[in-house]
Amino acid sequence: MVLVVIRTAIIFFSLLVIMRLMGKRQIGEMQPFELVITLLIAELACIPMADTSIPLLYGIIAVVTIYVLHEVMTLLDLKLKPVKAFISGKPALVMNKDGIDDSQLKRNNLDVSDLIESLRTAGYFSLDCVDYALYESNGQFSALPKENYESLQTSLPVVIAANGEFDRKNLEVTGIPQTFFEEVLAREGIRKLKRVLVLTADGTGKLYLQAKGKKCRVLHVAYPNGTSW
Amino acid sequence: MVKSLTAILLAAALLFGLGLFEWGYVERQFCGFREELMTLYDKEEAETATLEDAKAVRAAWEHRKEDLHVWIPHNDIARIDDYLSETVRYVAEGEHELALAKLEVLLHLTECLPGTYRPTPENIF
Repeated sequence: MVLVVIRTAIIFFSLLVIMRLMGKRQIGEMQPFELVITLLIAELACIPMADTSIPLLYGIIAVVTIYVLHEVMTLLDLKLKPVKAFISGKPALVMNKDGIDDSQLKRNNLDVSDLIESLRTAGYFSLDCVDYALYESNGQFSALPKENYESLQTSLPVVIAANGEFDRKNLEVTGIPQTFFEEVLAREGIRKLKRVLVLTADGTGKLYLQAKGKKCRVLHVAYPNGTSW
Repeated sequence: MVKSLTAILLAAALLFGLGLFEWGYVERQFCGFREELMTLYDKEEAETATLEDAKAVRAAWEHRKEDLHVWIPHNDIARIDDYLSETVRYVAEGEHELALAKLEVLLHLTECLPGTYRPTPENIF
């Protein structure tokens, strides 16, 4: 029985560390330790229930152990700030007024497309309509929009390039040749595509461009042949 | 806060208490059973063991295992059941060598099994 308690605690802490290392992508609406408990409880309850060769007491002991660990974690989470940061993690500020913070995205195993997806889910379709965006410690996404953000998203922006690569499918959708965007990048002093963190284009000719390690830029261009969407 | 701390302490005390009880109880049950097996072993070595002796050991085990089912995996109990049944049959048929061999296995199991529930590194990992 002591064996069950110790093994349960070891698995609990191992899962907690792994969930923390996996970053915010794996978490949804729960603190990491709550997610670990949810994952464990179901299995712990099922195994002795279905396998009659295991005493029911083993399952009960494991569940009680999880309860004790949960209560201890909740107390630590509430009372000790350094421990809270370790157990639950910290919010990650992935966007500020300078643009996207690529290092924060990488630290949480996310990329630009994940950020754009989160923004769209939150109701912000254009990268330039948000001043700040962050992933909370429980994986939820929060954003502070600009005052006039609704006027900034009149057309759906599409990702033309992200993380140093053109998105061929989106280029086809827009019907604008790649060379046009290569010229724009060259005009903005970006010689190598690898340096592009993100380039989006909307139907009105507004481009959102950010090079890696640089501030974002919003450009207004005229598409060839008067293309718009 | 007080409610949480009380709940933690109570649950931890329950786990600790149950752990200690299990440790002592399982050890005591297997120790008692080992002594009964040793008596049968000695009689079998002297070729004086009877079917009644073997059945008495089995009856005592049946009584012990009713409670042991709560504390240890049933597969471990089933292993003892199997070897004990074979022993009873060999004793009944006067197959002393074979009965002694089965009793050796049973004695080994009663020595080893309690150890497999102790919180030692090899059992934990």
